[in-house]
Amino acid sequence: MKILSIDTSCDETAAAVTEGTKILSNIIWSQASLHAKFGGVMPSLAQREHKEHIGFVVEKAIKNSKLKIQNLDAIAVTVGPGLSIALGVGINKAKELAKKYNKKLIAVNHLEGHLLSSFANNEHLVSGVKYPCLGLVVSGGNTQLILVKKIGKYEILAETQDDALGEALDKSARMLGLGYPGGAILEKMARFGDPKKYKLPIPIVGHEDRKIFTYSGVKTAMNRLIESEKPLTKEKIYNLAACFQDVAFQHLLRVISFIICNSKFAVHDLLVGGGVSANVELRKLLRKLGKENKINVHFPASKKLYGDNAAMIGVAAYFKAQREEFVEVNKIDRNPRAKL
Amino acid sequence: MQIVKKGEKAVDAAVGILKKGGLVIYPTETLYGVGVDATNPKAVKKLIKYKDRPIGKPYSIAVSGQKMAQRYVELNKTAKNLYKEFLPGPLTIISKSKHKTAPGVESEDGTLGIRIPDYKLVTDIVKKLGKPITATSANASYKKRPYKISDILESIGNKQKDLIDLVIDAGKLPKNEPSTVIDTTLDDLVTLRQGKIRLSSESKIFSKSEENTQNLAKEIWQKYEIQKGKRAIVFALEGEMGTGKTQFTKGLAKAMGIKELVTSPTFALENEYQDGQKKLFHFDAWRLEKSDELNNLGFPDLIKNKSVISIEWAERVAKVIRKFDDEAIIIWVKIKFGKKENERLISWGVTK
Repeated sequence: MKILSIDTSCDETAAAVTEGTKILSNIIWSQASLHAKFGGVMPSLAQREHKEHIGFVVEKAIKNSKLKIQNLDAIAVTVGPGLSIALGVGINKAKELAKKYNKKLIAVNHLEGHLLSSFANNEHLVSGVKYPCLGLVVSGGNTQLILVKKIGKYEILAETQDDALGEALDKSARMLGLGYPGGAILEKMARFGDPKKYKLPIPIVGHEDRKIFTYSGVKTAMNRLIESEKPLTKEKIYNLAACFQDVAFQHLLRVISFIICNSKFAVHDLLVGGGVSANVELRKLLRKLGKENKINVHFPASKKLYGDNAAMIGVAAYFKAQREEFVEVNKIDRNPRAKL
Repeated sequence: MQIVKKGEKAVDAAVGILKKGGLVIYPTETLYGVGVDATNPKAVKKLIKYKDRPIGKPYSIAVSGQKMAQRYVELNKTAKNLYKEFLPGPLTIISKSKHKTAPGVESEDGTLGIRIPDYKLVTDIVKKLGKPITATSANASYKKRPYKISDILESIGNKQKDLIDLVIDAGKLPKNEPSTVIDTTLDDLVTLRQGKIRLSSESKIFSKSEENTQNLAKEIWQKYEIQKGKRAIVFALEGEMGTGKTQFTKGLAKAMGIKELVTSPTFALENEYQDGQKKLFHFDAWRLEKSDELNNLGFPDLIKNKSVISIEWAERVAKVIRKFDDEAIIIWVKIKFGKKENERLISWGVTK
């Protein structure tokens, strides 16, 4: 099953060609192969930017796959969640191509893409996972723990009540004067800092049975802490970054751990996806959690698969195609608040 | 194509070629970069051809120090802070450009990324040249990250090879990540606000908890609910990060009878919540660069359709919101931190 997939849910214009779970090409505009997000942080320009680049990105994806569009079996596109006007650009392109080349169309939820991103280029994992399993999507826009009954059947076990984890990290970086989005640089700073230097409250500590993620309280506490520590030195920034990141991760881990320990079934696998899972420290903590609970933790096979990309959409689309979940060209529509 | 080993002679060779508009592959503390004189239009054209990516994608530039950077960009407080603490180093800092580079270098919205590499060879070249050079990776777009010269040469065609005038070979570089890119322009002072917003009657309340803030939203909503369907109702929320703008919107949604979970729209820019006939549009203007970009998100149509709207960071888009002063009911809500952790001072009123 060869699929061309398109994702324009937020800042990046992405297209990919996949065959089953194997990636043949994976093109992301605005991250190019290198410089992380240069000029890609102007979401208001998203629609115009997407329109300008979608043609080029799709062409490049097909060219790099060494296939011809005529030889593909289907076209997949993200319908949500995401920015409405941006989603429209990808959907229109997919419709245009589906009509022109008479291809089947698959509508994909962006979150399902992240959730299944560890399957990409990882053939043996597809048969290796024991269902039901858990999935964790942590990105700039979402923080969700998901029960995967089987591929295609999901239930949200916990989700953020306010800020997404990535958003909270970006915002605290910004409070430290590190610009925006600063989650990635916060991680670098945190490596040099001592997370025990300051005391920030772990959100809902002791009440993990509420099964929620929340970052608004610790964000405010961080703001106050920074105010009281001003003027900031390099040393202080390192420690504050380490401290916030640690507390944000502890909260995430504590809730996941509670849910695993109180699960009605034995959890064997945890699928992890989303931009924040590129954070080395978080991956370390999740692996540790896996070891302690005898759970196999699965991450995407390459860095490009963590952030927004279209290859993961292709993987999700492949499973949908197997279930014959196609959509008519005239019926496909954006769904900015799509849920899993 | 000429290949020289890293060293004193390499600096002179590079400067000579860059002066003539040539293209040089050079090592940095992250990976191999490709440089041309960033102020020479012909040289930049050559670079764009080499990178084989469509026009419109900006290139960051390498300078020798903050002084040189300030000739090309305007540094705000955030930027200066970052320069002081972290440069030279593997960081690209984006600021407002002074438009002194060749076309194609800065971004379409007039910003420019600056690098001060922690690599003497590069700063020596820039110093001697007296001008910035482009600091982009030496691979063609969408190709492997270059840590050694063969990484580059194996991934490009002959046409591209012909564009290279000089290669400075420093052998295999340690596998460091490419530089982190930080945009500081979002922290620029908002100049969009048109004077002080005059309110017809201003009320104040002291909130002691998130629940208090949510309840206030409910009270204000109940006061204006009667106008629903007759005119658009806009809650324009102002307040620092972490003051509770999203909390206020949560209270508003609850009061409207919307059960859906209200979360921060910072990332998505806009969220829509619906419960039967009840509908709430929730915007976040923080990442919007210009006031009128709110128009692109369909704001005027929502006003026309008499929608209920909540906008966080409303001061950033005040210009557009105020255009609808007559058409819509606009309630400005300002939230400030109090003395204690959970205390907030909230003031609100309707525009005259």
